[in-house]
Formats: sequence, C-alpha cells, structure tokens
Amino acid sequence: MRQQDFSDRHPSFMAGLEPLSRRGFLRGSVLAGAALSAGCARLLGRKEAPEALEYEHLEPNEVRTLRRLTEVLIPASEGLPSSIEEVPTLGNIDSMAGKMPPQTRELFGLALWVFERRPMVSFSFTRFSNLDDDDALEYIRSMQQASFFERGLTTTLKTVVTLNYWRDERTWPALDYWGPVTEKWGVTRLGNAPLPRA
Amino acid sequence: MSATVQKSGLAVTTAADVKQQRLDLKADVVIVGSGAGGAVTAYELARKGLDVVVLEAGPYVPSKDFTEKFNDMLETLYQDHGGQTNADGDLLLLQGRCVGGSTVVNGCVCFRTPEFILQKWQQQYGLPELTEQALRPYFERVEKNLAIHENEEWEIARHSQLLRTGAENLGWSVRPFKRNINQCALTGHCLSGCKSERKQSMLVTYLPWAAAHGARIYADTEVTRVRADNGRATGVDAQIMDPEQGKVADLRVTADRVILAAGAVQTPLLLQKSGLGNSSGQVGRNFACHPSMFVLARFPEPVHPWKGALLGTYVDEFMDPDKGGFILEGGGLGASEMALLNEPGTGKPFMHYMEDMKHYSGIVTLIHDHSVGEISWQEETKQVDYRIAEADFPTMQQSIKASARLQFAAGADKVFVPSYQPLEINSVDEIDPVVDGLVNEPNSLRLVSYHPQGSCRMGPDPASSVVNVRGESHDVAGLYVADASLFPTSTIVNPQVTVYALAHWVADGMLADMNRAA
Repeated sequence: MRQQDFSDRHPSFMAGLEPLSRRGFLRGSVLAGAALSAGCARLLGRKEAPEALEYEHLEPNEVRTLRRLTEVLIPASEGLPSSIEEVPTLGNIDSMAGKMPPQTRELFGLALWVFERRPMVSFSFTRFSNLDDDDALEYIRSMQQASFFERGLTTTLKTVVTLNYWRDERTWPALDYWGPVTEKWGVTRLGNAPLPRA
Repeated sequence: MSATVQKSGLAVTTAADVKQQRLDLKADVVIVGSGAGGAVTAYELARKGLDVVVLEAGPYVPSKDFTEKFNDMLETLYQDHGGQTNADGDLLLLQGRCVGGSTVVNGCVCFRTPEFILQKWQQQYGLPELTEQALRPYFERVEKNLAIHENEEWEIARHSQLLRTGAENLGWSVRPFKRNINQCALTGHCLSGCKSERKQSMLVTYLPWAAAHGARIYADTEVTRVRADNGRATGVDAQIMDPEQGKVADLRVTADRVILAAGAVQTPLLLQKSGLGNSSGQVGRNFACHPSMFVLARFPEPVHPWKGALLGTYVDEFMDPDKGGFILEGGGLGASEMALLNEPGTGKPFMHYMEDMKHYSGIVTLIHDHSVGEISWQEETKQVDYRIAEADFPTMQQSIKASARLQFAAGADKVFVPSYQPLEINSVDEIDPVVDGLVNEPNSLRLVSYHPQGSCRMGPDPASSVVNVRGESHDVAGLYVADASLFPTSTIVNPQVTVYALAHWVADGMLADMNRAA
C-alpha cells in the first residue's frame, strides 16, 4: 500500500495559518493584502522584470509566484513542451484572471499572497518564489498534507496551473489525446430536430 | 398556419441586437431560464397558443461554435465560467449557463425517476399525485421527443466495457445507459456541447420548437427581480448584459404568469432577492446535489478514455438505499479532466500520471444524498453551503470501495482515491484500510456536482414547502417553479428526465387552471 501519512504530520511552519480559513478574514484582508504588496512595491521603487509587464490582469508579484509554481509543478519532461518557454501557461492564467468575477479575483490574489509568504516561517524568511526546487516541492507537499485550508489553497493553485498547461493542444500528442475531432472527421451537423407529431 | 422549425440555429435576441436602453415587453408567460425546465414549459405553453418570453442569463452559442476544448467551453457555457463552488471551495458545481442550459453540456444520461424515490415523495412529502402511473405519459412523451434509447453495443466505449466486465465478474447488476442522442458520433466531447447537434439538448429541440410556435427568446438577460402585486405575479425586471461591455439595457416583462426555471442554485437566489414566496422560510433550503467522485484506475492495456461515447454503462446493484444508495457510471474523460479530478502527486509523479493517460479508465459515483445544503445571499454574493452529511459519508466511502473492487475485477493494476492527498490502492486487500482512513472534513474528497436540486421543494403544506404539487408558489399566485429546485429529495439518478417530466406537468397544471378560470 502506498498511502502517504498525512494525518499527524502537520508541519510546524503551518501553525498559525488556521485563522486564514475564516471566510470573514479572507474577505476582509483580501484588499489589504493586495494593497500592501502593491503599496510596498511603489514605496521601494522596485522595478519589475520585463516579462512581468506582459500580463494584463496579473500583478507582477503574482506572476513571480505563478512562474515558480509552474516550474515546480510542470517540470521539463521528454516529449512535452516547456511549461514556460513554449506553452503560455502564465498567459493562459492571465487570461483566466481577466474573466474572474471580482470576488473570485480578489480571493485568487489573496491565495497567491499567502502561498508566496507562507514558507517564510520555516525556510529562513524565504518566499516561495525564491525556494530551490527541492524546498519548493517539500513546501507544496507539506501544504497538501496539512489542514483543510492549506490543502484547499494548494490544490486550487495547483489546479489553476496544471489546467492552463494541459489545455494547450501542443501537450496532447505526448498523451496520445485526440482533442477536437468533429471537423477533422468531417462529421455532418444534423441541425434542429423536427417538430414532434402531436 | 402551421409552425415551422428552423433547420439549424435559433432565433435569439442577444445583447448585440439591442439598441435601446430600455425595453418593455408584454406576454402571457415569462420564463426565467432556457434549460430543461424552461425550454419544455416554453414549448408546451407556446404550442397551446400562449405568448411566451424566455429569458436566459447566459449567452447564445450556436453548436457550430463549440470548440470541443473543455477549458474553453467551461469558460463559455458554464455558470461562473466553470468556477462555481460551495462555500468551502471543495465541491465544484457544474451548471450550464447558456441558451439551452445544462442540457447543452450534460452527458445525455436519461433515467425515469426511480419508483422508490416517487414513493418517498408520495409517502414522506405529501405528494400522492406523483405516482409512476401519473407521470408515465410525461416520461413517454419526452422519451419519444428526445430520441431517448438504450445504448447499442457500438455506443459502449472501452471504459464502459471495462465497467461491465468488472461488474459481471463480481456478479453485480450492470446495464447500458439510455441517452437522448441521435446517431452519436462518438467524439466523447459531450461536456463541451455537441458540435454536430446529435445530442438532443434543448438547443436543438424544445427551444426551436417553442420559437416555431412564436416564443421569443432573449439571451444575455439576467433577471434581477420577480414582480408581484397583491399576492399575484406581474412579471420580471431584468438587465441585458453584453458579455464584454456590461449592461446595455433594462428590460421589463409584464406577464400574469412567471415561471422560474433557472436551476436549483439561481432560482432560490432570485426568489430571495425578490423577497417573494418565502413565508415558509424554506427557499434555498433542503439543497442536495449528488456529490460525485471520479474513481480512476490504471489498466495494463491502453483504454483511451476519451474515445467513444462519454457514458456507456452503469451498475445499479447498490441503487436501493437498503443496498447502499449509490450507482456507478462508466465515464470517459479528456486531458483537462485528468488534471482536475485526481491527485497523483506533485512534479514528476504528476507528469508521469498525465503521460500515462491512455491507460486510465474512470467510474463516476452518484449517491442519494441528504438534503442538507442551503443557498443564500451573503451580502451581495451567492453562497452555497453544502458539506457531506455525516449520514452520507459512509455511502461515499462504500461507493469508492465498490468502484475500486470493480476496477480490480476488470483487470486494473492501480486505483486512485479521489482525495486531496495522493492516495493509491494497489490491490483488493488495500481497499478497506485506505478508504476507511478517509475523514469527513472539507477538502478531503474531490467532489463535483452535476445535478443541483431541491432548493424550492414542492409539498402540500405552505409551512414546510415553497410550491404546491403543480409547482405554483404557496404565497404568490401565478408564480411557478419548473426546474430541479422542485425536488423534495435528491433522485439518486441523473435528473434531466425528471425535470422534463415535471416541467411538462407544471405547464399542464397551469393550462388547466387557465381553462378553469376562463
């Protein structure tokens, strides 16, 4: 049996995150979190990497977190296109963010803000986007084995990233997945059904 | 003059067609929602000569524009672009939000309401009228209209053949599904809409038929309020919203009869926002949703789970609540669903899992869940409170165990537990210890609801139900509900035929009342 032990391995660096699971806090702090990061960036006059400016709906700090997450979740694999250089995973997420309702977008921003800063407690004040591959993987696995809030947060972000990679048809040949077929096969459309006879 | 149906497409007014800032319409009946309930009532009333207006919040997307790319279609055709969840965020609620509603994006599975469910409604919920005998003509009519038939052998894909093999090896009852499809093209893209118009959804059946009888259909139109005066419905207010530009016009429809058929999440929200029909305090309560899981297994030989009809066979061995209260459905999936529905690990393990995709086959579990959920507004935001009831969790576990047992009996070498943590089962002996270790808490199981239901339940008592057995509000004359909100309990099986039949039943009741009044 390969069941991973997750019941009692609540890493110490996760302690104290539980209050974030209260929805009131989530809602109340979402704007504060976004304002804080944006405000600090302005205060310090930080210059963003040129690639961060390519995205219309994601903040530069969000791009940093998502880029690192993409690199760790979808490592290079033979026969599959790069999740950064070839498939526009981040561009797809940017587009998705642009379509989110305001509340969802705010929560998404808060989730990234928390996920980015959570490792600072146990990884020598290092943010997620600065962790090396091994530490980043350890952090993600620990989050998935922690309380329901951390599990939900991590799974949500993982899903956002992976869906926006595998949705690209350049990834499909390696899976043998056939994708859209109706036009390729020349399947005719049947149109509307005739009126029923009384 | 006899009615004529368009050969293809549908006459729909969209936001792009509207040039005025305000529209005022009059009709005999205004229907909110164009899915299973809205389309059937629209046709059944329009063909009797009533002037019908149908308002759909979602866009009109003709079949030719379906891309067969699941992510694209989630964003285009589904409620909240496919992101509708419960308050905990661990239950994905997939509902269509487009002209034709969920019927456009469902898996075509058709069941009549099981006899034991109808008996429960009769005996425990005071609805003696809803007998199998009374509903049979409605079932028969819709089955004929929608080409509902039992899958033939060529419609049973490899994944569903494996389900059948496993069940037969275990001596369990297994059957082919009935589906509303005409000459299935076996593309496997049902959940993205049927591009070749073989699925007999409302988009290619009841809606064009209603339009042929004069029904006017508006897309991009969000109803904001049901209007009533002196205890009688008088119409609705709505906004016509361009998907890109936002509001383009206000719309008022004045009508003596209003039918709500926006689905079991949106219908109670609209009633609550309107401050109508809730003297019982039951609007939004008793919500059930068929929380389902996708139990994936790896087989030594390629299965290609995306090939062929999406749903082929099902196990009904455990359908009776005394035998477990769940069913197992053999279902296919594509690349996005593979990435979404299981947790095989992070990094390289995840990549290997995806690269191995053609070897996987899945089982969809459906349970007869208790009606423990509630739909409400929290400030300006809708909230779906639903957690797996303690009474239902053992059933969820049993359904996972049965799925795993069946897959090993069919030859699988590994089964994934649909959990948030990576959990695998590698032999029959491991099934019980692994599944018994699951805990009923948020973000434990990967849950999807395709069948929200029961948030405006019908019943005879105005103190404990929202509408009567004919779907009319106990509080507001002329205000009806004709969607899955009506259900007193969950149905255990895919509910579309139950909605069709009850919508027709509601329409007939309305017509009878009108005839009596005339």
